[in-house]
Amino acid sequence: MDQAPTKIVLRGGRVIDPASGFDASADILIEDGRIIEIQTKPGSLSGQHQPGSLLLDVEGCLVTPGLIDPHVHLREPSVGQLHTETIASGSRGAACGGFTTVCCMPNTSPALDCVDVLELVQQQATKAMLAGGSRVFAVVCATLGRKGAATVDFSALSDAGAVGFSDDGDAVAQDEVMAKVLREVKKVDRVFMQHCQDPVMTIGSVMNTSPTATRLGLIGWPPEAESTLLERDLKLNAEIGANYHAQHLSSRLSIAALREAQSAGQNATGEASPHHLLLTDEFCDGYNTQAKINPPLRSAEDVEALRTAIAQGVITVLATDHAPHPPQTKDTDFASAAFGTIGLECALPLYAQALIETGVLNWPQMLAMMTINPARLVGLDDRGFGTLQVGGTADITIIDPEMKWKIDPNAFHSPCNNSMFAGFSVKSRAVATIVAGRLVHGEEALMGRNRPTGSATSDQTPISHA
Amino acid sequence: MLTADPATIRHLLQLEGHSATELTALAKRAAELNHEPDRGPGHGPLAGKTLANLFFEDSTRTRLSFTRAAQRMGMHVLDLYAKSSSVSKGETLLDTARNVHAMGVDAIVVRCTPSGGPALLADHLDCSIINAGDGKHEHPTQGLLDLMTLLEHFKVGQTITGDELHGKRIAIVGDIDSSRVARSNIHALTTLGAHVVLIGPPKLVPETFLEITKHLDPPVGSVEIAHDLDAVLADLDAIMMLRVQFERHERDIIGPDYADKFGLNQARAAQLKPTAPVLHPGPINRDFELASAVADDPKRSLIMQQVSNGVVVRMAVLEKLLA
Repeated sequence: MDQAPTKIVLRGGRVIDPASGFDASADILIEDGRIIEIQTKPGSLSGQHQPGSLLLDVEGCLVTPGLIDPHVHLREPSVGQLHTETIASGSRGAACGGFTTVCCMPNTSPALDCVDVLELVQQQATKAMLAGGSRVFAVVCATLGRKGAATVDFSALSDAGAVGFSDDGDAVAQDEVMAKVLREVKKVDRVFMQHCQDPVMTIGSVMNTSPTATRLGLIGWPPEAESTLLERDLKLNAEIGANYHAQHLSSRLSIAALREAQSAGQNATGEASPHHLLLTDEFCDGYNTQAKINPPLRSAEDVEALRTAIAQGVITVLATDHAPHPPQTKDTDFASAAFGTIGLECALPLYAQALIETGVLNWPQMLAMMTINPARLVGLDDRGFGTLQVGGTADITIIDPEMKWKIDPNAFHSPCNNSMFAGFSVKSRAVATIVAGRLVHGEEALMGRNRPTGSATSDQTPISHA
Repeated sequence: MLTADPATIRHLLQLEGHSATELTALAKRAAELNHEPDRGPGHGPLAGKTLANLFFEDSTRTRLSFTRAAQRMGMHVLDLYAKSSSVSKGETLLDTARNVHAMGVDAIVVRCTPSGGPALLADHLDCSIINAGDGKHEHPTQGLLDLMTLLEHFKVGQTITGDELHGKRIAIVGDIDSSRVARSNIHALTTLGAHVVLIGPPKLVPETFLEITKHLDPPVGSVEIAHDLDAVLADLDAIMMLRVQFERHERDIIGPDYADKFGLNQARAAQLKPTAPVLHPGPINRDFELASAVADDPKRSLIMQQVSNGVVVRMAVLEKLLA
């Protein structure tokens, strides 16, 4: 990456910027990390193609604002724990999956609940991005040690760059603590992200309460465990009015609660993850521990309800909940196995399978849920992320919507390969990713698409450094 | 035995998915084995083979029954007692089983708390795995011995045909949700065409049981749920009482009136058809879920037949997996 050109021309792609509604065939000129020009007149930017610059022929591809995943687990710091992922490996995987920005969750060890730990994460994030990864922003704890009791220093963390607050993995269970968190989050004008799980209703629970759970003899996880906690939060927040976000929704009961709060004017949003949009609890059959996830895979009716909620704009954000776990934690009995699946390098085609191939959304609509909507959620839109603007930051993802491939988690950058989608055949792929004006992923993927230009050589190089 | 081809290794992990033909054949074979003489220590069709009992939960009759069955087949038997093993030092189920297997055994009989534990071992070890009860999932040899006992009871001629349970209404009463015995019985009985009535308080018999056999092809038997034992007694062709597993529950979920509502006392037994037998997998909470007078009534109770059939059913299973 040392020799990376500072000037890139993207030629002939379908440029989609959901934030502005722009959707047309156009060329884009990038220089010194910024978008210099977006030109709809074909070929007019070719003159900008000079020695040392990079001309990418992206005809047939979608050119979009860099994708943003507001919910990933990068497992750093991980003092006293197994090394399952780092900010470096996670952000590199993110870039290769088309994400230019991810928000990491604070269930680290020690917990990300103070400025010292936040600064450590930020230092690692800066290094990771320089090494060819995505940007990494931190969502920090709402309570100290994620224990649901004493709260963190909201203004210090917010000033230091925290983009949101969450005890992800654990819900803030006590009403009075929750109310305080919402008031504090409102004061600093950040978002609170709730992992909606009633702890009492889910003691020992490992999969959705369902005929499959009954047959396998596994303890059920009722959908009410999610919806009752969400309802409690929305009731508290009705008077407080904080930015409230429900993570990884799984149940149709929760959708109903969220829809009602939104109708009443609350600033409440929701997210959905690839697995909840594609798979049902029957995927756990045969004690398939890769299908063990928190919240659990639900019924076909719930999958349908999530897709409908997306079509109707009740759920506006897509998030992977990328959760690496080492093999031995999945290679055990179902009840003992870890919850979670990795997602960064296969999320895009899975969303497309759930939402585009089914006709629920078109590409611009789905890309809004992966760019400007998550940017707004965590306040990154004000800093120019999530959109393509002349003069703005050149975080760009190039998607081949027709590319067919088979998911092989062993080929991913994460040290862990716990994917429930191993072997799935999918369509569409992020073939190139540009972070801060630098092509960090895509040379191989673009091989064959781009012919050398500007010189008489017949060598086929993946990218033309004229 | 350490070089066995994994593809040829046979396991008994559950009764779900076994055909009527397979289940009937095992019951018939067990009935034949009843008439075979005990050839004495070290003699039998499986002489030279070794069985390991890995019981991570308490058991009396199942472990003894497997041991007896293995002895009658001529096998050596090893016993691991979980409380004296490295399981109590934090070793995982899989690691413990791997170690036992490495000592050279042909089959492992496993009872464990995690549902699906035996399936996990079958995925990783190249020896036969026999499920002796995994969590709330299944207890297939109990299901087989119950099936054999019912087939023998209802058979018309000299031998079992497999048609004996067609259309019979057979009740399973008690804590269905926690019961691996209930699940194995539901699969076996519905596969052989019985109508199974699950009876107990709503908390212990969730509605999800109605769909437990929905994948049965063809759907010969059926499952229904009843919460009033007295209302269904007169129509039953057989009744299986389950042990109330106090150790798996807070007392309040069972309820103080449990025995009043769901216990099989003499008055209730009198309402059963004269030909309807009573079964219980043991150990009995005497005069709680089952009155002693009923349990010990030779005209009504098949409980001792269940125990003796347990040995021959397990012999038939060992023969099928290892011979």
